[in-house]
Amino acid sequence: MLEIKNLHAGVDGKEILKGISLTINPGELHAIMGRNGSGKSTLANVITGRDQYDVTSGSVTYNGVDLLDMPPEDRALAGIFMSFQYPVVIPGVNNTYFLRTSLNAKLKHQGLNEINAADFMRLIREKLKLVNMDEKYLSRAVNDGFSGGEKKRNEILQMLTLEPALSILDETDSGLDIDALKIVAEGVNNFRNSERSFLAITHYQRLLEYMKPDRIHVLIDGKIVKSGDMTLAHELEEKGYSWLES
Amino acid sequence: MTQFKKQFEALLDYWPHEGSGLRSVRNTAFGRFKELGLPTKKWEEWQFTDFSDLKKSDFQLSWVDDLPNLPKEIPGRIPNTHLIFMINGHYQSQLSGLPEGLTVSTGLDHFNANPDEYNVNGNPFIALNTSMMNSGVSVAIENNAVIEKPIQVIYLMTDFSAPLMNHPRFNFDIGTNAEATIIEHYIGKSPTPHFVNSVSKIRVRENGIFSHIRLLETDGHGTYTATTKYQLNRDAQLNVTALASGGKLFRHDIELSFEGAGAEARLDGLSLTEKAQHHDQHVVVDHGNDACESHQLFKYILSDKASGVFNGKVVVREHTKQTNADQSNKNLLLSPKALMNANPQLEIYAEDVKCAHGSTTGQIDSEALFYLRSRGISKQKAIELIIGGFAKEIIDSVQNSDVKSYIDDKVTTWLESTMHHG
Repeated sequence: MLEIKNLHAGVDGKEILKGISLTINPGELHAIMGRNGSGKSTLANVITGRDQYDVTSGSVTYNGVDLLDMPPEDRALAGIFMSFQYPVVIPGVNNTYFLRTSLNAKLKHQGLNEINAADFMRLIREKLKLVNMDEKYLSRAVNDGFSGGEKKRNEILQMLTLEPALSILDETDSGLDIDALKIVAEGVNNFRNSERSFLAITHYQRLLEYMKPDRIHVLIDGKIVKSGDMTLAHELEEKGYSWLES
Repeated sequence: MTQFKKQFEALLDYWPHEGSGLRSVRNTAFGRFKELGLPTKKWEEWQFTDFSDLKKSDFQLSWVDDLPNLPKEIPGRIPNTHLIFMINGHYQSQLSGLPEGLTVSTGLDHFNANPDEYNVNGNPFIALNTSMMNSGVSVAIENNAVIEKPIQVIYLMTDFSAPLMNHPRFNFDIGTNAEATIIEHYIGKSPTPHFVNSVSKIRVRENGIFSHIRLLETDGHGTYTATTKYQLNRDAQLNVTALASGGKLFRHDIELSFEGAGAEARLDGLSLTEKAQHHDQHVVVDHGNDACESHQLFKYILSDKASGVFNGKVVVREHTKQTNADQSNKNLLLSPKALMNANPQLEIYAEDVKCAHGSTTGQIDSEALFYLRSRGISKQKAIELIIGGFAKEIIDSVQNSDVKSYIDDKVTTWLESTMHHG
C-alpha cells in the first residue's frame, strides 16, 4: 500500500530525513517512535504533502502511484488522512460544513452522489457517539474553542467520517488524559480492518498498549535505527533511546 | 476646480427661486471648498488617498430632466423591507412605500427646519456636498414608534452616458424610545465614471434603538466619498454594519459622538477590494459622556493591486467615567501586490476607562490552507472557505435574517468572482 524508499527530505536546506525506507501493507498498523526532533512529524508531513518540506531524493508511492508530485488534496482523495498533532483553528468556518465539504469532495471524486445536509447530520451523529463527543462541537467553527483533547477527538471524528485507507496519527496521544486516550484508541481499533492501514507516531508506548501495532520503528536523527514488535516498545520504555544511538 | 465651479453656477441657475437662506449656505460652502481644494497627500488625514482623478472627469450634476427610464426591476432589493428609491439622485416617491410612524421629507424641508446643521468644517467633501446638495431624503422615526421591517433606501446610479455626480444628504432621526433599521444602500451600475459625495447624519434619541446597514456595491468606475455622523443621546443603542464592495475609490469618514450617558454603539465594517480599487476609512469615536460603550470591528479583504486605509481613533474626554471602548482592525491580503495602511489610535484623557485596540494584517493562513486541503478540499475551495470565515464575523453581526442573507450572498458572489479571475 505505502512504500517509502530511501527518503531524504528537509526544510530550508536542512536535511531532516536521512534515508527512510518503510513498507506498510493493507491492514497493518505501524508505529514510529522517537524523540522530539528525530523527524517523526516531518515524515508525516512529507507523506501528506505539506509544501514547506523539500524531498531531495527517494520515493514515496501509494498503491504504486508516486505521491510526491500530488497536491495534498489529491493525496487525501486517494485515501490518505493525517490526524494533526496540532489541529488548526479556522475562524468562521463551521465544523459541520467543513466535515460535509470534505466528505462530499471524496464522494465526488469516487463518482458518487454528494450527501445532503440531513443525511449528513444522521451520519455525523452516529460518528460522534464513537468518540464520545458532544454535539455542540458541530455548530462551532473548526477547532475554535476546543480543548486539546476535543481537538484530537475531532481529528478522529474526521477519520471515521472520511474512512481513509491509510491514516497517519501524528502524536494523537499527546495532551490526552487516560480516559480520552482510551476513547481515541478504541475509535481507531474499531475502525481497523484488513484493508485499512495506519501509521502511528508517538513518544510513548502508552497509546501502543491499546493499539497493538504490527511493527514498531525507532527513528533517530532522520533514520530508522531499529524495527521490531511490541517488545521493542517495552524496551524503549525501560531503557530510553540512548542505547540505540551510535 | 473649474468643472466644479461650472457645475455650481449651473446649479444656481437651475434653481433660481431657492430661498436666500439656502443660497447663502451654498455660497459659503462653495467658498470654503474653493479655499480648501481637494485633499492632497500633504494633508495628514488624507495622505494615503489620491483624489487627482476627480479633476480628470468632467462630472456633471444630474438634473431632473435627465431622469433615465426606470429599471423593470430595482436592483439590490432586499425582501421584507420598505423601500425608498432614488435613481441618479431623483426620488421616486411613487415606487416607495412606507409604514406609519415615520415621515420622509426632501432635503429642502429638512434644511428649512434645521438650518444650523448645515455648517461646514475643514473637510472639503462636506463643503462640496453642502454647496451642491441635490438629492437624498430625511427620515424621521416618531417617538415610541417601532418599525418592524427594515427601511431600504436605495440610491442607484445607472444609465448615463456622460460622467455624472451627485451630492446626496441623508438625515435619519430616530425618536425617543423608537426602534428601526435603515439600510442606506448605494448601487453604481455604469461603465461611465461617476462621483457620489454623500453626507449622512444620524441621531438616535434617548432610549432609541437603531440598526444602520450601509451598503456600497459598485464596480471600478465610481468614486464614492462619504461622511457619516452619528449622534447618540442618553441610553441610545446603535448597531452599524457596513459592507463596501468595489468602487474605483471609496473614502468614508465616520464620526460618532456620545451626547448623553449610557449609550452604546457597535460599528462593524467589511471592505472588499480587487483590481486597483482603493478604500479609505477614517473613524472617530468620541466618548464625551459617562458609561458609554463603543465596539468597532473593521475588516478588509484586498485582492490584486487593491489598497486600503484604516484610520481609527477613540477619544475619551477628560472627567468622563466608566467608558468601555474597543477597536479592532483585521486585514486579509490575497495578493502580494495588495497594500494596507492601518493606524488605530487611542486618545484617553480620563482614568475610569476600559479600552483596547489592535490591528493585524496578514495573508491566508498557510496552516489552515494545508489543513483543509489535507481533507480533500481543493485549494481554491479551501481559500474561499478561509476568506468566507474571515468575513463571517461581520455578516453575523446583522440581526435581520433577510438583510443578513443578502449580505452573505454578496460576499460569496464577490469571493467567487475574485477567485476565478485571480
